[in-house]
Amino acid sequence: MFFHIVLERNMQLHPRFFGRNLRENIVSKLMKDVEGTCSGRHGFVVAITGIENIGKGLIRDGTGFVTFPVKYQCVVFRPFKGEILEAVVTMVNKMGFFAEAGPVQIFVSNHLIPDDMEFQTGDMPNYTTSDGSVKIQKDSEVRLKIIGTRVDATEIFCIGTIKDDFLGVINDPANA
Amino acid sequence: MSIEPFNRLVKLAARAFYDDITTKGDNQPKTGRSDNRGIAVVVLDALTRRQWVREEDLAKELKLHSKQLRRTLRFFEEEKLVTRDHRKETAKAAKMHNAAVANTTDGHRTKEGDDKIKMHTHSYCCLDYAQIYDVVRYRLHRMRKKLKDELEDKNTVQEYICPNCGRRYNALDALRLMSLVDEYFHCENCDGELVAESDKLAAQEGGDGDDNARRRRREKLKDMLQKMEVQLKPLMAQLSRVKDLPVPEFGSLQEWQIHAGAAGRAANGDSSSNDPSRSSQGYGATPMPFLGETKVEVSFSGVEGKEDLKSETASTGLKVLPPWMIKQGMNLTKEQRGEVKQGSKMDDSFAAAESSDDKKISIGNDDKIKDEYVKAYYAALLQKQREAEESAKKQQELLQTSISNGFSKSSSDRQVGMKSKREEDDEPDDDVEWEEAPIGGNTSEGFKVNDLNAEAPASGEDDDDDIDWEEG
Repeated sequence: MFFHIVLERNMQLHPRFFGRNLRENIVSKLMKDVEGTCSGRHGFVVAITGIENIGKGLIRDGTGFVTFPVKYQCVVFRPFKGEILEAVVTMVNKMGFFAEAGPVQIFVSNHLIPDDMEFQTGDMPNYTTSDGSVKIQKDSEVRLKIIGTRVDATEIFCIGTIKDDFLGVINDPANA
Repeated sequence: MSIEPFNRLVKLAARAFYDDITTKGDNQPKTGRSDNRGIAVVVLDALTRRQWVREEDLAKELKLHSKQLRRTLRFFEEEKLVTRDHRKETAKAAKMHNAAVANTTDGHRTKEGDDKIKMHTHSYCCLDYAQIYDVVRYRLHRMRKKLKDELEDKNTVQEYICPNCGRRYNALDALRLMSLVDEYFHCENCDGELVAESDKLAAQEGGDGDDNARRRRREKLKDMLQKMEVQLKPLMAQLSRVKDLPVPEFGSLQEWQIHAGAAGRAANGDSSSNDPSRSSQGYGATPMPFLGETKVEVSFSGVEGKEDLKSETASTGLKVLPPWMIKQGMNLTKEQRGEVKQGSKMDDSFAAAESSDDKKISIGNDDKIKDEYVKAYYAALLQKQREAEESAKKQQELLQTSISNGFSKSSSDRQVGMKSKREEDDEPDDDVEWEEAPIGGNTSEGFKVNDLNAEAPASGEDDDDDIDWEEG
């Protein structure tokens, strides 16, 4: 799920950036540092949408670096258990398949793939129904439900299922 | 509106789901006396025999404390079985409800004490059959789904075991366990191939007791599901029986009161001062008295006008041809001739116009009449000149007869003219019939299309063959 939230971060800035463009420098450094990172609590930071305020800088003894507390608005993406996501299949193997929904990796084990889908080996491994009408392979788009998440400090990993109503392939690249 | 099957549904659902519901808080000691299980069923049963009922009255009749009843009802409101309505009302309004109740149930109400009430908040409750039907169905669906999901391990995290070192992993570790060389998961310790826990091998190698527990659990779940199907069978049967029946609706409290009151009045034929529909004007709780369905009739004046216009154009469709266009041998109606013979006198033409039923031919359309008159006058003049030799008397007679003839003829001709118009209208129909011949021609083309269709699958098969060939 996406959230628009306000986060705070202390930015350490080298003295060479001090000057007229101090503010712009802080913002560009913040974007470089924060966008694309993942925190266990808030999820993936997708984009910074605005700066709330930049506090007073504090000069560090000895180094000359200055720390600015920056409050910024950003869009974060955090997967939840029970959430329905649409994802792109990245890898298919005997144990199941991996898919990506933006920055999140999702594993769907073969127990959570409908029973009528069989694993087919080959240079393009896939899961196929007996009549061949539905095929899950690399680059297929699937709709899945997250049934478990592992949230580390810097990483979120999910497991999903397509063994439920209205889940499964939504767009097959082979047929497109 | 048969309410009986729905009542049966309510009773079955009450016994199935609300039999051992106690509305007491958990902190209170559950002694034998304070145990109020089963009250829920009693209350629901009582409600099936009523429509909208004041909660105080219900409490009195059930010999329950009103607080206890209210707690039960609040629970049912949360369960969406019961709709409640609270309102401040005077004795009069309360009486009104009593009247309404008396009309729907033949029961006799105690009315003493009602007059003393000044302004109290009264709560009313009623079963919401439509919602009950949905709620029960949803409940069954959820029960079944939950059991089935658990039975099929739908939402459980898959576990993996290393047969070599016995180390366990689950699906959340999958990313780390992927190996680059093959498509199996590999143990982090010993690089052995992992197996999914539910597989046979794992059951033998891994913890045996754990698997037993798992199996026992599955048995239990299956048992539970089976029991549920058996025990709730009557309820499900009742649900399916009720499915196509119209759901009894009482509407909101106010609607119901007014309806019930009106029905009662119709039955009794009395119009006492207690009459609910009358007093409904007076009390403040209803913003608007029930006035029956509002009907809006929209009359399109424009359409009518158009019709008029059309008929007018139809009747005046045959334009009066100017005299210089009229030639010998033309098949013209009298109208087209401009009613030459009509009205050598102004008065006559007026009379003719007025006497004709066809109002669309402009009564009082002065210009037209003038034109006609002028034309008639000229024609008459011409005639006069031609017939100058003839005697005045004879001429007079001739004119007289021609005028009278003209009248009858023109009126009949008018009819004929209309008819001929209609026949013209009919003609396009003929044309349509005519056009059916080419349609018949088109069908052959349709066959062609069919032929193409017939060919298409064949080509599709060819494609399939190609694929097969490639795979071979």
